[in-house]
Amino acid sequence: MGWHWRAFDAPGHPGLAVSEPVAVIRWGEVRRHAGDPGVALAFAGAAVMLGLFVLYPAFRVLVYPTLQDYLEIPRSLRWMQAARNSMVMMVISTLTATLSGLIFAFAVTRPDVPGRRFFRNIAVLPIFAPPFMVAFAYILMFGRQGLITKTVLGLDANIFGWHGLWLVQTVAFFPLAMIIIIGVLEGINPSMEHAARNLGADEWAVVRTVSLALARPGIAGAALVVAISVLADFGNAVVIAGGFPLLATEAWFRMEGLADLKGAALVVAMLIVPTVCLFLLERYWVSRRVYTTVTGRGSRVERPPTHPVLKWSTFLFCGLMSVMIGLVYFGVVAGSLTAVWGRDWTVSLAHWRLAMDRIPTLWASVKIGAMAGVITGVVGVAVAFLTSRRLPLRHVLDFLAVLPGALPGVFIGVGFVLAFNRPPIELVGTPWILALALAFWHLPMGYQAAVATLKQVERSIEEAATNLGASGLRVLWDIYVPLLRRAFLGAFTVSFIRSVTNVSIVVFLVTPGNIVATFAILNMIGNGIWGGAAALTTMLLLITFASVGMAQAVVGRTMRSTPMG
Amino acid sequence: MKRLIAMGVLLALVLVGVGVSQAQTTRIVVYSALPDLETTMVNREFTKRTGISVEALSVAAAGTIAARIRAEKDKPRADIFVGGSRDFHIPLAREGLLLAYKSPAFAEARVSPAYFDPNGFWYGWYLGALAIIVNTDRWDREMAPRRVPKPATWDDFLRPEFKGHFIMPSPITTGGGYIFAAVQIFRLGEDRAWAYLRALNANASQYTPTAPGTITLLARGEGIVGMQWAHEGIGARLAALQPLETIVPPDTGFEVGAVSIIKGGPNSEGAKAYVDFLASRTPQDINAKFGYRYPVRADVPVPMGATKFEDLKFVKYDLAWAIDNMARIRERWTREIGR
Repeated sequence: MGWHWRAFDAPGHPGLAVSEPVAVIRWGEVRRHAGDPGVALAFAGAAVMLGLFVLYPAFRVLVYPTLQDYLEIPRSLRWMQAARNSMVMMVISTLTATLSGLIFAFAVTRPDVPGRRFFRNIAVLPIFAPPFMVAFAYILMFGRQGLITKTVLGLDANIFGWHGLWLVQTVAFFPLAMIIIIGVLEGINPSMEHAARNLGADEWAVVRTVSLALARPGIAGAALVVAISVLADFGNAVVIAGGFPLLATEAWFRMEGLADLKGAALVVAMLIVPTVCLFLLERYWVSRRVYTTVTGRGSRVERPPTHPVLKWSTFLFCGLMSVMIGLVYFGVVAGSLTAVWGRDWTVSLAHWRLAMDRIPTLWASVKIGAMAGVITGVVGVAVAFLTSRRLPLRHVLDFLAVLPGALPGVFIGVGFVLAFNRPPIELVGTPWILALALAFWHLPMGYQAAVATLKQVERSIEEAATNLGASGLRVLWDIYVPLLRRAFLGAFTVSFIRSVTNVSIVVFLVTPGNIVATFAILNMIGNGIWGGAAALTTMLLLITFASVGMAQAVVGRTMRSTPMG
Repeated sequence: MKRLIAMGVLLALVLVGVGVSQAQTTRIVVYSALPDLETTMVNREFTKRTGISVEALSVAAAGTIAARIRAEKDKPRADIFVGGSRDFHIPLAREGLLLAYKSPAFAEARVSPAYFDPNGFWYGWYLGALAIIVNTDRWDREMAPRRVPKPATWDDFLRPEFKGHFIMPSPITTGGGYIFAAVQIFRLGEDRAWAYLRALNANASQYTPTAPGTITLLARGEGIVGMQWAHEGIGARLAALQPLETIVPPDTGFEVGAVSIIKGGPNSEGAKAYVDFLASRTPQDINAKFGYRYPVRADVPVPMGATKFEDLKFVKYDLAWAIDNMARIRERWTREIGR
């Protein structure tokens, strides 16, 4: 893995602890900016876009069922069951994923834990995988015909059900927690730990009372972000949950098996309530209490050595988790090259030949991913710039930009069809509907990445320019644009990867002329062509890695030439 | 700067690509619930015959297509909904989303009127029967040595040896699973049917939320015996070389696979030609050869490895009753079976 993971180092999820002192509105400044026609126009434009592509589709789904339909929800046994199961999975998967993420983040931020660079690189791998891939690979590994459970250990294991889902979600979502917690731990000034040690605290006490204590709000934030992802997890659940009803999949089954759009809208509405609560909690309660990131990463003090027991136990744990991640990739690649999994282990290229027919779908994926990436990048950076100004109503803009993170993908898919299938805005049937839906769904990640980059801009540079008489737009163009390139690229990369590997939105918006790879893969799994699905997944991964590698290489070069670093 | 130019070029390419894929008039758009292979082959023949090109979207689940047609009803994007049980087409017709068309070709082909709608909203052009599917690999290893007889009737599913090894599609989220539950009611009467389903539940390892899921899991040895459409089981064995055996028991149920015209689609005339085309031999033959589904035409050979449709023994299935009682039966399933 030769490239930088910069794009992921930046906060990459709706709730990512971006702390900010409560705004003190300086009216003089407000008047100055609001009076600037360029900025005012951009503000209005961004507000209209977000209203149109975030609020309006969501609104259309929520009003699809009647009030009477909503009132009857508690009478459906199956849905109440699904709601209860979703809550249970949310609690247990969030606990294990956050804990794993914490241990990983701890190891990675210690200079003396062996293999930390390796762990850091391998831990972000699940982010590249299509959402169903972890579950898919683990069935190949740990199912009844699993390579490990049956061929190696000779067990008769049933991975389908809540326990399989628990394992899969832990592996799939801990990287999210890790990335957030790394940011928090790196923000802790090592001199605090030194101080504690000088006062006679032993190593364990230092970790417990200083490092973890300071990181606690950040960890809580990470847990909430993971919880939102677990609640909305469709890809893994659909492959491995078996007959275990969950809200995220129940919405889909309503549609797939029963063509019941109204029922799907109702279930999705049930899902939105807890998600929005978690989201608001993270955004307006936890992130206000993060004290670590405020100080920034400025300190150059060496971190003290880690206690050997702590060092080696985290090393062991990270090694184990790395194996679990390695198995995901190994399972898919091996599955694509094995004649018949579980019975005939001869190497065969038959699945690759089958997947070759679907190569056009890979190009469609790249095309739509690039479109979505550009849109997310432009909108994300523009909105981040606007919300960093002291403008009235900027909190509304900020909220709209992170809101899509709280909406399940199936919801967005249905919403876009309902909203944009007739004049004045007719997008159904064009690739734009897919690109726009993906772009705005991933906006929170792109936006947060841009916000984080903007925070590094020295305010004084801008103030100097303004004092010298530059207009708001001029400030944007001369000072921010060069710096924002990196923010744009971060947003573009995250949105591109998530778009290329997306399933939950694609499945409802794909059009005959633009069949994308994940859709073809899901169809193959659905029709039992597992080898072909594994081969096409491998191709998709290769293309994703190549595209991101290329983008990172290009930016890496320009970035080194800018003093910003 | 170089990067900005590169980005601009990329964006331009994307835009051009988008522009080219539009336009054309003599074509129809098809939403297909059949797998890619059959869809592509049938469409290719249609284009050869009529000169009308086809843009197809093949989705493994008929329900998704029906939901999509509902969501697109303000401005339908597709002309044809092909594949999937008539159970998906009938409600769309009731909601006024389909176009009635009296196909002369179906009358000429002497297809039994039982297989199409008298008003011309949908036409059945293939058939499927519910069957017992056995994973022969695991059977030979685990059941044969114990001299367990192969299941031949629905009641054989209740054998204690099958505990934890039975898989079928969920009656709550799939059409096939529901037909199976209804078949038990028509076969045993309502009270005994529920006793049967509860006993069956004791053997069930899982109910797959999607229909193809059952075949996939059985093929992968996650279960030993299961229930699914016969053509899925036969197809998995012959086309994908999976270790599956398909047995159609007496008192089984069947589905009618349909085609319908979406009202207000871009090319309704082309769509009518498509419906007429499906009444002909070629598409039914393709579907029988590659999809292992029964043709509705008497002069098309039955799929390889399948018993003649007339020789199968069907339970007396009351379609109207099954549809009217669907909500109640699904609710009772959730209450009594609970998964």
